Amino acid sequence: MVGEVTVISGLHKDLAALMDRRRVYTGREDLLAYAGDAAPAAGRDGTVLPAAVVVPVDTAEIAAVCRWADRHLAPLVPRGAGTGLSGGATPGPGSIVVDLKRMDRIVEIDRSNLTAVVECGVVTQNLQAAVEAAGLFYPPDPSSLSVSTMGGNVATRAGGPRGVKYGTTKDYVLGLAAVLPDGSLIGYGGKSVKMSSGYDLARLLTGSEGTLAVITGITVRLLALPPERRTILAIFPELDAAAEGVAAVMAQGAGPCALELLDRVLVNCIEDYLRMGLPRDAEALLLIEVDGHPAQVERDVGLIEELCRRYGARSLTVAADAAQAESLWRARRALFPAVSSRAPTVLTEDATVPRSRVPDMVRAIRRIARDNRVEIGVCGHAGDGNLHPAILADRKDPELMERVERTVAEIAREALRLGGTLSGEHGIGTHKASYLEWEFGPRGVELMRRIKKAFDPNGIMNPGKLWIER
Amino acid sequence: MIKGPFPEDLAAEIDRCTQCNFCLAACPVYREDRVESAGARGRIDLVKAALVEGSLPVSARVKELVDRCLSCTNCTQVCPGSLRVDEIVAAARSVLHDTYRFALAERAFLRRLFKQRAQGGGSKTAASLLRGLNLFGGRWPSLANPPFQQRVTPVIRPDGPVRARVAYFVGCGVNYLYPDTGEALVQVLAANGVEVVIPPGLHCCGLPALALGDHAAAAEAVRANAALLSVPDVDAVVTDCTSCGYMLKVKAPALLAMDDPDLPRAAAVSGRIVEATEFLAGLGLAREPRRRNVRVAYHAPCHRHWCDDLVGATVRLLSAVPGTGFVPLREPYRCCGAGGAFFLTHRELSESIRRPRIEDILAAGAEVVVTQCPACRWFLGQGLAGQSGVRVMHPLALLAGSH
Repeated sequence: MVGEVTVISGLHKDLAALMDRRRVYTGREDLLAYAGDAAPAAGRDGTVLPAAVVVPVDTAEIAAVCRWADRHLAPLVPRGAGTGLSGGATPGPGSIVVDLKRMDRIVEIDRSNLTAVVECGVVTQNLQAAVEAAGLFYPPDPSSLSVSTMGGNVATRAGGPRGVKYGTTKDYVLGLAAVLPDGSLIGYGGKSVKMSSGYDLARLLTGSEGTLAVITGITVRLLALPPERRTILAIFPELDAAAEGVAAVMAQGAGPCALELLDRVLVNCIEDYLRMGLPRDAEALLLIEVDGHPAQVERDVGLIEELCRRYGARSLTVAADAAQAESLWRARRALFPAVSSRAPTVLTEDATVPRSRVPDMVRAIRRIARDNRVEIGVCGHAGDGNLHPAILADRKDPELMERVERTVAEIAREALRLGGTLSGEHGIGTHKASYLEWEFGPRGVELMRRIKKAFDPNGIMNPGKLWIER
Repeated sequence: MIKGPFPEDLAAEIDRCTQCNFCLAACPVYREDRVESAGARGRIDLVKAALVEGSLPVSARVKELVDRCLSCTNCTQVCPGSLRVDEIVAAARSVLHDTYRFALAERAFLRRLFKQRAQGGGSKTAASLLRGLNLFGGRWPSLANPPFQQRVTPVIRPDGPVRARVAYFVGCGVNYLYPDTGEALVQVLAANGVEVVIPPGLHCCGLPALALGDHAAAAEAVRANAALLSVPDVDAVVTDCTSCGYMLKVKAPALLAMDDPDLPRAAAVSGRIVEATEFLAGLGLAREPRRRNVRVAYHAPCHRHWCDDLVGATVRLLSAVPGTGFVPLREPYRCCGAGGAFFLTHRELSESIRRPRIEDILAAGAEVVVTQCPACRWFLGQGLAGQSGVRVMHPLALLAGSH
C-alpha cells in the first residue's frame, strides 16, 4: 500500500529555486519509484515515500540542496541506481532523495598515470567499456554493473567475482570529491599512487553509505587489461570436498580471478530454469576463471585441474574458447532469476569469512538452515570467503519471516565467530543495522557515531543506516 | 476510488519483480526523462499501486507514465526474470480505457482498420480514416495504392527447382506503406528457389491493438490469421516485420485461453514463424549475388528477441554480397524511438530518442541503413531526410538489388 507523503510546507517551491523545477519531484506517482532499493524488505510497496526527489546535474546544485536540507533539518538520501541489497538507499518519512545518476561524465582516462576520473553517476559498465577500449582494466564487477553507479559502488564498497584476485571498489579509490552537509566541498587524494598525508578521508568516505557526505567525484586507479582468460567448470560429489578444494586452490597460489561455488539446491534451481544439462546430483559446482599472461594462465589452469581432481572433482571442463566460457558463465549469471522463480522472496546474504574458514562456514549454514527449517542455497565468491547464502522466503508469511530473520542473525553471528565480517560487499544499510555492535562493540560503534557527528552535526545524512538511531 | 479489473496473472507477474532495477539502463524513455518513475520498474510499481491495489488515485500523471512506454521490450530482454512488462503496460492501458474511457478514438480507428484490411479494403479508405479521425497530426506517408496484397498472386513459384515452400504473412507496414519490401521478399525468395504462398485476406497481426490494451480485437486477429496461415506443407511461415513476428510467435498463442478451440492452430502457426532474413540465411543463397559497393549500417529492431539470431543472420546474408561492407554503430542496439505508432502520439520524446541514433548512423558513414521494422524504417527515414542521402530499407530489399 502506498503511504502518504510527509508534507513539508514550501518544499517544492524552495527546492525549485535551487535547480530547474522540472528536476524536482514531489508527486506520489514519481516518489513511489524511490521508496526502496533491491533489498527484499526495504521500502516494498511504497509504504514510506520520501517528501521529494531532486535530480541535480552538477556539484553546485548538490551543495545548494545540502545547505537547504541542513538548515531545515530535512534528511538527505543520496541515491545511485537503487540496486543495493541492504536498504541503504531507503528513504525515511520527510526525506529528500538526491538522485545522482545525471552526474554521469567520465571526466578523464589518463593512460600515463593509469587513472580515471569520473562523476558519481557514471555507470560502472560504461567506465569499464571506456577503459577497456584504451587497453586498460577496471576490475570491480558487482553483478549490477550494467546499471549501478560508481558513486553507489564507492558508497557501499561494492565487490564482485573478481574480488578474489583484484579486491573490491575500496582497493581502486585513489581520491574523492564530496559535498558536506553544510554545502562545503572537500577533496582528498588524486592521481598519486602513494599518499601518506593526513587521515585517509577517501577511505573513510568509501563504504560510508551516504551517512557522511555526498560523494560527487571519484579518481580510480586502473590496471593493464589481462591478455588471456580461461574458464573452468568443476563438479564435485561432496560440498565439503569442494569447499576444501577452494581453500587448496587459494593456498597453492593458483591465483584465479573468480572462484564461484554453487551447491546442489542452486544447481537444481538453475537447471530447472535453463535446462542446460547440469548434473542434478552434483553436491557442488565450482566455476573458476584465471586471467593474465598466457604462459601464467596455462600453468594456473594445470594446477587448478590437478587440485580439483585431488579433492574429488568428478568432472572438469576447461572452456576451449570465449563462446564456451560464456556458456559456462551463463549458469552463474542465471542464479538470481533462477532462485527468484523458486520463492516469492529471496534474501541474498553476504556473510564473509577468512577464506580458510569457507568449509566451516558452509557447514554452519547448512546446520542453521536445518535448525530453523528454512531452505538455503549456498553459493558465493568462495575464493575470497564471501558467501551468498540465498534464503528462500515469503514476505507474506510472518511465521516464516520470523524464522528467516533468526537465520540471518545466526549466519551473521557465525561469520563473526569465525573471524569474518557482517558484510563482504553489500553494506549494512538498514538490513544489518541492528547487528553492527556485534562486530565492533558498543565502543567501536560509538566512535563511528562521533565521526559521523564531525561530518554531519545535524544528522541529516541518510539517517537510520549502519546503526539503529537512539 | 475505482479499482480496475486488472488481470490477476499480470498482477502476479508484477509481484515477481525483485526491484533489481536492471531495466533502468535499458529503457529508452528513462534515458530521456532521467527519473525512475519513467523507467520500467517504476512504471509497473505504479500500475500495481494505482490499478491493482487502488492505493494511489488514477491521476493525469499516472496516465502519462503508463502511456509513456514504447513497448520496445528492452526491459524484458535484460530482466533476470524476463518479466512481461509490455503486457503489464498494455493491460494497464486497457483498464484505463475501459474504466476511464481513455483513448477510445484510437481504439475505434484500429478496429475499423482491422475490418478494412480483412475485407480487402484499399489504402484510400485507410488513409481517409486516418485523416478523418485526425488523430495523429504531423507528417503522414502517402499510402500504397493498391495495397501490396492486392498486387500479388496468392502463389509465387520459382523458375527453377523448389528448395523450400513458405507462407508469407504480409504485415500492415508492407501492405499499406512499404510494398517494395514485400516485392523484394517475393523476388529474392523466388530467385533462391523458395515457393511463396500469400493467403488472401490476412488481418493485421494484432500487436497495435494489444499495445492499446484492446485484447478482444487482438484475439480476433490472432484467430483469423491462425486459420489463414495454416497452410499445409510449408517449411515456415515467414514475416519481414519483427513486430508482426513477435506478435505471431510469442503473443498470439498466449492471448488465447487454454481451452480455446483455436489455440492448437495458433500454437502450430507460432511454431513455424521465422523472420524472412533469418529464414533465407538458414537456407543459404542459391547463387552468388552481384557485386554492390555500398556501406551498410544495421539498425537491429528492438523486437528481435523472438528470433534465434537475427543480427547474425542479417550480417551473414548481406556479407555474401560482394562489395557490401557493414559499418559498426557505436551503440548497435539502441532504440530509434518509433515504438510502432508511439512516435505519432509522443513526437517530442520519440525525436529526442532518435537524435543520437541518427548522429550515430551519420558518424559511421553509412550509405544505407537496413532494418526489419517498418516503423523504424519510416521514423529513421524521416530523421535522415534532408541532411543526407542515406536510405533506409529492409535487408531483403538490398539483396534484391543484387539478384
